[in-house]
Amino acid sequence: MGRYVVRRLGQLVVVVLGATLILFACLFVLPGDPVGQIAGSDKARDPAVIEQLHKQYGLDKPLVVQYGTYVGKLVTGDLGTDYTQSRPVAEILEPKLVNTAKLAVFAIAIDIVIGVSVGVVAAMRRYSIWDVSATFVTTLAIGVPSIVLGMLMQRLFVVELGWFPLIADGSFKSMVLPAVTLAIIDAALVAQLARSTMLEVLRADYVKTAVAKGLSRRTILFRHILRNSVIPVVTYLGISFGTLLGGAIITETIFNWNGIGLALIQAIQQNNNPIIVGVVTISVAIFVLLNLVVDLLYAALDPRIRLS
Amino acid sequence: MRGARSAKWVAGAIVIALAATACGGSDDNSGNSGGSGAGKNGGTFRMGITEPVAIDPYNAQESEGILVTDNLFTGLYEPTADGQVVPALATSKKASSDGKTWTFTIKKGTKFTNGEPVDAQAFIRGWNRVAQKSAASDVAYHMAGIEGFDEIQAGKSKAMSGLSAPDPYTLQVKLSSPDFEFYIKTTHTVFSPVPKAAGDAHNKAYNEAPIGNGPFKMQGKWEHNKSITLVRNDSYGLKKAHLDKVQIDILNANNGVTLEYQGFESGQYDWARMPTPQLPAAKAKYEPQGEWIQEDTNGMNYLLPITDNGPMKNPKARLAVSYAIDRDAIIKGVFQGMMTKSTTILPPVFKDVYQKDLCTSCVKQDKAKAKQLAREGGLKPGTTIELGYNTGSGHEEWIQAVKQQLEDVLGVKVKSTGKPFAELLADQQKPGATGLYRFAWGADYPTPDNYLFPLLDTASINKDSSGKVTGDNRGRYSSKQFDALVAKARSTADQAGRNALYKQAEKKALDDMALIPLWNRTQLRLVNTKKFADIRMDFHENPNLAEISMK
Repeated sequence: MGRYVVRRLGQLVVVVLGATLILFACLFVLPGDPVGQIAGSDKARDPAVIEQLHKQYGLDKPLVVQYGTYVGKLVTGDLGTDYTQSRPVAEILEPKLVNTAKLAVFAIAIDIVIGVSVGVVAAMRRYSIWDVSATFVTTLAIGVPSIVLGMLMQRLFVVELGWFPLIADGSFKSMVLPAVTLAIIDAALVAQLARSTMLEVLRADYVKTAVAKGLSRRTILFRHILRNSVIPVVTYLGISFGTLLGGAIITETIFNWNGIGLALIQAIQQNNNPIIVGVVTISVAIFVLLNLVVDLLYAALDPRIRLS
Repeated sequence: MRGARSAKWVAGAIVIALAATACGGSDDNSGNSGGSGAGKNGGTFRMGITEPVAIDPYNAQESEGILVTDNLFTGLYEPTADGQVVPALATSKKASSDGKTWTFTIKKGTKFTNGEPVDAQAFIRGWNRVAQKSAASDVAYHMAGIEGFDEIQAGKSKAMSGLSAPDPYTLQVKLSSPDFEFYIKTTHTVFSPVPKAAGDAHNKAYNEAPIGNGPFKMQGKWEHNKSITLVRNDSYGLKKAHLDKVQIDILNANNGVTLEYQGFESGQYDWARMPTPQLPAAKAKYEPQGEWIQEDTNGMNYLLPITDNGPMKNPKARLAVSYAIDRDAIIKGVFQGMMTKSTTILPPVFKDVYQKDLCTSCVKQDKAKAKQLAREGGLKPGTTIELGYNTGSGHEEWIQAVKQQLEDVLGVKVKSTGKPFAELLADQQKPGATGLYRFAWGADYPTPDNYLFPLLDTASINKDSSGKVTGDNRGRYSSKQFDALVAKARSTADQAGRNALYKQAEKKALDDMALIPLWNRTQLRLVNTKKFADIRMDFHENPNLAEISMK
């Protein structure tokens, strides 16, 4: 198992290098001078100013040199300096990463609690009014884009009812709406996934055996059914944690949540390449690490799975 | 100016780059000094902006950055909302008869919030700090007229030779060429004084929490993408502010306008912009309550005809186009009536020189006149006219309307082409460009010269060896009579005389239809007049924080 983890971490390095290389090539080969325009505007900079900035950011050097420098610094945890604020990328992104992580953890918690319990209830009471409404609601939730849901909730709960603050201040209260927006689609998917895998498990022989043995309903549900049906859900959650970033761009924009999703979209609009590369590098690393955690979790959940 | 070309105006979206002017926030007109005058002190004013480029005068440039910098610093002069220039720290000004040497006396005894004196050296320090090559300032070009600017920009010196202090409260500025309006330029925040504590332009600690001499001071530092908090400067040297505090949230540009509007609706903001689709509803709700501001500000929208080539070469053809456009219909249909028609080249906010309805062809669509002028101007039915605009900024709809009107009335074929802004600019600059382009402009300082000279003077065409237009006069309008009027205005020392000449120049340009005015830059805001008194929109389209008081 130790060797397995080491090998996977080795893969992480390769993946991160590959991702940054591709990104670097894309961003820096693209036409348009990253410092030729003033951030977010159409205003052209003074040629003297451009020249000075090129020197400052090393943009006067060939792409290969720029990439080499970037990777060299990356090893020491230095993600470079951004173009609009001239501050270290790591320093800019750190608080944002924490903010996004808070939101993501909250969202995952919602996914697990709501998703799994809805799925379990629906499966246990198959074809009941609960099951039918769960299917209806989850299908609707999957169908409504989170941007629509987010804006509707903002309008209703912030402007009309005044239950939540408009601008996130980091409090728990201000996290609720963005987290729900971020979580809702995944929660619905988790519910449907949990329901279908549970239905499969319910038909399994070992469940019938357990029932025949006269075990309590509770023991059957938690020890035999849930444990066996949770593996696909864990896989899904592992992947979705990574893709939460995509949802975070929309959610963070709607609620002005100062996270890396917002940082990414702003950086793209401003040609602020160091931030773009920084966000992607970090999220690739997180994604790979989470997949590793998921794989390790498999083994814990199902002793039949061997890591090698 | 630059910037105003950014096309984001019409959509009511974020105005980035209205690099206008200003310093200080005190208003000499209302006459009460000390924070306990007519208005009641206290209160926290809350609003949202998008992340500024800088709040340090060395690089503050767009409306948002200017909002903060302007309230942290007070310079020699400041612009008023109606395009006037009034003294701030300057107690007198004198230009030499050749217009090349300016002498300002500075109010004695005022201080920065760290106790350092605001004297002539503080100004010299501030100006040199901006002009340094290493500062790489986007706004240093405003100082280009000062002697020694080229040397300091080239990194050959650390100070501009044109700046001196004959005594501690006298500032002398030598210019490399005559400029009787130099004092007007000093209204820009880039001409702010700074204390010794400022260090150089890349002093991070100062960039994030500038120590100034303005009506407000920073509370804490600039929390990037989160907030900026200002509190009243109780030791301010001019008329003190009334507000205790200004809480500025930094919103993301993609959703900022919506957030501002929702913030206002839910009582969390006292000042807000509105998303365009919400305008009619917002107006219906808030105008009767006196919480609606509608102002034509420092900015104009035009069609730019290419006057040296193609179908728009003949002034009569340009007049025909102007007569053929039904501005009222477009404003009603596309802008929901939230714009005002423009009938001048200079904006109505420049009250001293505003000549309403100077452009007779702009006042009302006249199909018969348009057809007749088209015939006389050689604009035959079937002629193809290029109409260029930039995409992604909400121009599509009205461009389509203009195209349709021109085709219907004149029988011409209009080829409208949308391109990203940078490409559109390149098209306009290209030798051999023809037809019409969408165009907008706003001035850096409140002077007609900042419209007329860059947009229409022959010297501003500035073709390079390939024939590419590098100046801002991309319509290539060239008239000896116009140039002479502008030159005469520029060499006239007294302002009334200058303005009279600028008015004549504007008339000449409109007689030739050198630019085709469309609509003014109309700005709309919601303001909390239930809680606050004396709220107005200033020259930079920001709230006049230094004057607002509690009700």
